[in-house]
Amino acid sequence: MDFERPGQTGETGQPEQIDEFERELRQAMERRPAPPSLKRRILQQRSTRRTDRVQSYTVWWQRLAASVLLAGVIAGGYGWRRVEDRRKGEEAAQQVMTALRITNRALSDMNRRLVARNRADQQARQE
Amino acid sequence: MAEKWHPDFERLVDEHQSMVFSLAWRMTGDRGLAEEVAQDVFLELDRHMSRIESPEHAMFWLRRVAMNRSADALRRRRVRGVDLWVEIEENHGTPAEDRSSPLSARLEQLLSTLPEAQRAALVLRYQEDLSPEEIAATVEAPVATVKSNLQRGLKLLRSKASTQLKEYIRGL
Repeated sequence: MDFERPGQTGETGQPEQIDEFERELRQAMERRPAPPSLKRRILQQRSTRRTDRVQSYTVWWQRLAASVLLAGVIAGGYGWRRVEDRRKGEEAAQQVMTALRITNRALSDMNRRLVARNRADQQARQE
Repeated sequence: MAEKWHPDFERLVDEHQSMVFSLAWRMTGDRGLAEEVAQDVFLELDRHMSRIESPEHAMFWLRRVAMNRSADALRRRRVRGVDLWVEIEENHGTPAEDRSSPLSARLEQLLSTLPEAQRAALVLRYQEDLSPEEIAATVEAPVATVKSNLQRGLKLLRSKASTQLKEYIRGL
């Protein structure tokens, strides 16, 4: 069988031999016209897909934005809680320091009185 | 340097819808399925438009994807358990307005009974007028395999036609 195209010559330079059968086959295999609605449906589906794609992108971005916002809120809450805990800790430490200062003052006062009293007792014994 | 080609999708559909639809119809043997395949092929083209470099590349790409999608559609049908050959014969037996001549109709009917690889080679050879090398590039097969499929397909078709279409064709 010769595979050259009609009207062409083969490698040997001989004109191609295509018999009646192949000619009929070629004729039978002509392209068929596409249905008139095919292009319209393709363009319609293309447009629908594009809209869907845009919508899915929008939804994706919305989800991303919501996730970022949520992450921000959680991180902010966590940070605020840490700051608050530190503030409370410092406040408690201040209170303890104040209590210690008051106790220290009271003990010093008591010590001073005891010293004065001892001194008075000693003077009384000497007299 | 050559200027970059900017494909126009609608124009490509206009120019090649008949080719894609015909390839799909001849490969699947089902008009409805061929329309679905053609739609899928063009929608895939739309997704790959940025990679299409020239009109020739677009045509080559469409032919290759049309053949692949048609093969996929046939495979899906086989998996679903549809008796394809019965269906093909039924579908090819109908609408009379699509037929150019009774002989063409019978030849197409006989073509639909050939094995898939041989049918693909013959469709690309006689519908698209491709050389064996071009067919090989389209179906991604060795040239020798394509030549063998062409020879065997044509021989089988000729032998079927000699018994069933003797009244139509001289010189069989």
